[in-house]
Amino acid sequence: MLIIDTEKCTGCKICEKVCPFGAIFVTDTIAQVQDNCTLCGACVNSCPVEALSIERKPVPKEELDKFSGIFIWGECEEKDKGIAPKKVVRELLARGRKLANSLDQALTVVVLGDDKLQGLETLITYGADRVMRCQHKLLGSFTTESFTNVISAIISKEKPSVFLFGATPHGRELAPRVAARLHLGLTADCTGLEINEKGELIQTRPAFGGNIMASIVSPYTRPQMATVRPNVFSFGNPDNSRKGEIVDFTVILFPAVIKTKVVAIERLRDEKEVNIEDADIIVSAGRGCQKKENLKLIQELAEELGGVMAGSRAIVELDWIPHTKQVGQSGLTVGPQLYIAVGISGAIQHLVGMSSAKTIIAINKDPDAPIFKVADLGIVGNAMEILPILIRELKKSVTF
Amino acid sequence: MDVTINPETGTLIREGVDSILNPFCEYAVEMGLDLKRRYSDIETVAISMGPSQARTALMRCLEMGVDRAILLADMKFAGSDTWATAFTLAETIRTMEGDFDLILVGKQAIDGDTAQVGPELSEILGIPQIMYAVGVELIGNKKKVRVKREIETGNEIVEVKLPGLISLSKGPMIRSVSSFKEILDARKKELRVVTAPELNINENELGLKGSFTQVVKIFPPQVKKTGMVIDSSEPQGAAKKLIGFLKERKFV
Amino acid sequence: MLSWSNGKIMHEITSEIVPHVDLKGIRCIEDYSEICQDYSPYLCDESKLAHQGAQYLFFPTNEGELSAIFKEMPKRDVTVTISGARTGLVGGAVPYGGAIVSLERFDKILGLRYDTHSKEWLVKAECGVTIRDLNNWAMKKTFPGLSESGSAETKAFLEKYKESQTTYFYPPDPTEMGAALGGTVSTNASGARTYRYGATRNWVRWIRIMLASGEVLEIPRGKYFATPAGEFIIIDSAGNETIVAMPKYTMPLTKNAAGIFSAPNMDLIDLFIGSEGIFGAITEIEVALQKWQNPISIVQFFPSDDKALDFVITLRKEKSIRPEFIEFYSSHSLDLLRKKQKEDPKVVGMPPIPDYAKSAVFFDLQFNPESKDHDYSKLEEIVYRCGSTLAMSWAGYEQRDLERFKNFRHVLPETVNTIIAERKKKIPELYKLGTDLAVPDHALEEIWGFYKSILEEAGLEWVAFGHIGNNHIHINIIPRSLEEMKEGLSIYREFARKAVGLGGTISAEHGVGKIKKEFFSIMFSDKVLKEMKEVKNALDPGLMLNPGNMLDM
Repeated sequence: MLIIDTEKCTGCKICEKVCPFGAIFVTDTIAQVQDNCTLCGACVNSCPVEALSIERKPVPKEELDKFSGIFIWGECEEKDKGIAPKKVVRELLARGRKLANSLDQALTVVVLGDDKLQGLETLITYGADRVMRCQHKLLGSFTTESFTNVISAIISKEKPSVFLFGATPHGRELAPRVAARLHLGLTADCTGLEINEKGELIQTRPAFGGNIMASIVSPYTRPQMATVRPNVFSFGNPDNSRKGEIVDFTVILFPAVIKTKVVAIERLRDEKEVNIEDADIIVSAGRGCQKKENLKLIQELAEELGGVMAGSRAIVELDWIPHTKQVGQSGLTVGPQLYIAVGISGAIQHLVGMSSAKTIIAINKDPDAPIFKVADLGIVGNAMEILPILIRELKKSVTF
Repeated sequence: MDVTINPETGTLIREGVDSILNPFCEYAVEMGLDLKRRYSDIETVAISMGPSQARTALMRCLEMGVDRAILLADMKFAGSDTWATAFTLAETIRTMEGDFDLILVGKQAIDGDTAQVGPELSEILGIPQIMYAVGVELIGNKKKVRVKREIETGNEIVEVKLPGLISLSKGPMIRSVSSFKEILDARKKELRVVTAPELNINENELGLKGSFTQVVKIFPPQVKKTGMVIDSSEPQGAAKKLIGFLKERKFV
Repeated sequence: MLSWSNGKIMHEITSEIVPHVDLKGIRCIEDYSEICQDYSPYLCDESKLAHQGAQYLFFPTNEGELSAIFKEMPKRDVTVTISGARTGLVGGAVPYGGAIVSLERFDKILGLRYDTHSKEWLVKAECGVTIRDLNNWAMKKTFPGLSESGSAETKAFLEKYKESQTTYFYPPDPTEMGAALGGTVSTNASGARTYRYGATRNWVRWIRIMLASGEVLEIPRGKYFATPAGEFIIIDSAGNETIVAMPKYTMPLTKNAAGIFSAPNMDLIDLFIGSEGIFGAITEIEVALQKWQNPISIVQFFPSDDKALDFVITLRKEKSIRPEFIEFYSSHSLDLLRKKQKEDPKVVGMPPIPDYAKSAVFFDLQFNPESKDHDYSKLEEIVYRCGSTLAMSWAGYEQRDLERFKNFRHVLPETVNTIIAERKKKIPELYKLGTDLAVPDHALEEIWGFYKSILEEAGLEWVAFGHIGNNHIHINIIPRSLEEMKEGLSIYREFARKAVGLGGTISAEHGVGKIKKEFFSIMFSDKVLKEMKEVKNALDPGLMLNPGNMLDM
């Protein structure tokens, strides 16, 4: 329950403003709370004198079962002058659908944005039973504070049993904030999600850089929260016959909630440029390419094959490519049909980012490079000598 | 050498694996020291929670130039998940360093690698967080920070009023080296060890008991397929094999 | 007068025959063009000296096979060049015709034991084991195959070794740790740690060596000693006696890898250590291990080369400080490294070398990070007296720091090699000129002054670095033209003469091989050279083994 320290409270009314449910108000310069408080924590977070706190006790077993529903954060990105759900949402829907069927609970996608939101109907064709649309002009671009407030409010009101996020850069900023606010267990970067005999969500993830797999549960808290990297789960074709509903969730937000101000943006990835996470063919460069100038060859090969260039953490650190093209544990996870690793040794932190590629080719001078353990075709040799010949041959074999 | 699993017993093999200051945390320390060099009146404190490995990490921080350190060491902290860790750290900071201005953390630990402690700590302390930072400046008479951070499509410059938390993604290309004097001086600096009783936290909220997530099983990852490795010291032949393979798999 | 011990005659030794093996069963490549095409690495070593052809390439797997080869080759009038890991720098394994015999298959660890008398752990290994592997296994306390194939006694020792809390290592640490153990014994190899622990010679306790006859001598240290006249008698299995007279000269008071060992009443084992394979092929070796203590690596910067030398001399005299090794980077070396850092910072792996650093001394000290009392006031005082402070240094003790400091020590010679390789593209006859000279302690300042004055006058591009603790500074001239190379060579001759004149050696580490014979004759009089040749004639009358190494017969 919400605890109000009347000694500390100054009656400033900020809590009144930020509450998404209108459940707290100030009378006689003291805050008071009503029955419709969902314990979402928005007021606690915003009180400047720390007069508010929530005593969160572990949920008793009987109560756990009252939480129902598989929820997914439908993260959006810029697309054709609007904002639409990212590919990872469809991946989460595919897995979420299975979980929902196992538990016989509904599958909901929660989408936050402003009036430029589009493409929400497709979410139903990919498996959602319901889309909760949260529209507000302050949600037009991502901020941790506003998104945390809205998601926490939804969770507190709807009481889902599972809440999934894509482990995208934004997802990894948002999920732990929500988890901490609501005192929930959160497992990051899951590669496996299953329901066990007890109806609990088993969250499987790699640890120690990928050398070990761990299976985790959140026994006492609901919803059970997990983030999942893009390109870990796959999805099938949409089913246009599926039925579902799009409902609106009233969002109450004030500018004061957003503390961080964006003063400039530097685009390193062109709007037209394909996000490597979505690419089907990737040619990736590592330190074995020796110099930045040699990346011309990688780019050329990528273009010849109709794919994109990416790289390992080592060359991002050397400033040869921007971080937007980094593949690996501290970069992006890719899932292309074809991944060609050039001059990449294949440390486990890199493999974690690309091992789900369908076909892997590796070229490296070192016969003991670990990348060869996952390659379908491995060539031990000097890539800088092989690539020009390969590119030439490819150009020749293009037929009109 | 990496930590692996003994496939017979299913337990972790940690012997022979060095404990080091997490590289991302080292970036955070480097940034803190960089700010200290720019503004002489800044005091830096390193804080860590864990068994003896945490001590060596803190010593490294002191050797790098951090002014003092706090080590949270108590059996009761064992088994903490990211929530319990953030909770314990928050309580320590609140009671012992309550007038802090800025908390710097590394993006993720290369063993647990969840990247969750930073944001959870910020939420518990009620301060704003900026993640994926690659550059930090103090502005407005050191009351605000201007941070360059990496986002999916490029970089963002953001500003926020302190106190706040910043998580670092990048640091100097080459790790710094301490002088012998700094290594010796580090041993004279304050390294305060804090145990559970000193924190005003109920035992049930610490360590394994206070964690919301539990590991129920650990196992080695699936061994990946081994493909065909061709030793082609001669580029022409290698290129031929590559084209053949690409054609066969219909990429060309 | 004969020397006696327990009634046995100490200067006499009998060789044993090994079981007969059919030559046809031994793996052999018999065609020179095939060797050139598919086995070309066997024709050269790290010296890049041009070979003079080879008719056979053998891969024996045991002493029986090696003996069969040794017995057969003289019948075909074919010489034998022994090949190990081919990491040598003076052409020792480069064939001048004849048969190449690779001992790479002699790669097993044979035993581990503790000698209660000498209180040492001893490892026995075949000659083809690399010293990197030997050292890693010793430190990690796992010896492949030993726990399965060893005797009950060995297994018991292995258990005890593993239980012991102490870590042990093999001290000789040449930069090239991929060298074969047998090779390091044949050249009496040295590295940075020779400063504190001595050269390979200090650590060899027992060898098995196959003579040109195909028979084997088994020689423990401390059993066979020369007569007062400096002679040994070697008796073969048929009872034939050969008298071998040791050369008589005073060895330089320095780290030395040039020539045949000589001392009054010397141990027979020392004749073969450092003899570059001209008397026999060493097949098995037992070496002692040393206790390991975790170090801290320190690079101390100084305002000038002279101050750095002052520091080294003072540090050496200070008994309370015992560095593992003392290495040197001259002012020109640091400049070259700075340039490399600008081009490719990750290769050097260290932050930019500070501007105030005009010279550097690199040393390791035993260091316990957990210790409560660190008193380095004496060191601080010495550093201060030489114009610097402990704040003007780099130091590290974590494993990954020790590794990058070690890498930093090796980056300079590698950088020089890269520059030479670049220049070689335009001037193919160019090669790196490096010295391997050492002098006794008292002559350090004099030789450094000599080097500097001559090089500065000549206006050549040069760097100086190396094992200054042993007064063994490498001078690398990086020639920009053939003229400069010629000038460099003549300057090196002057250097060699000066070093020898000061009581030093022309080869502290690399040996003589085929490349340094010219300098060899600066060091030894015709009389002594003749005496050395007599030993060769006695032990290998057919002049079969390693033709071209050390002595021109």
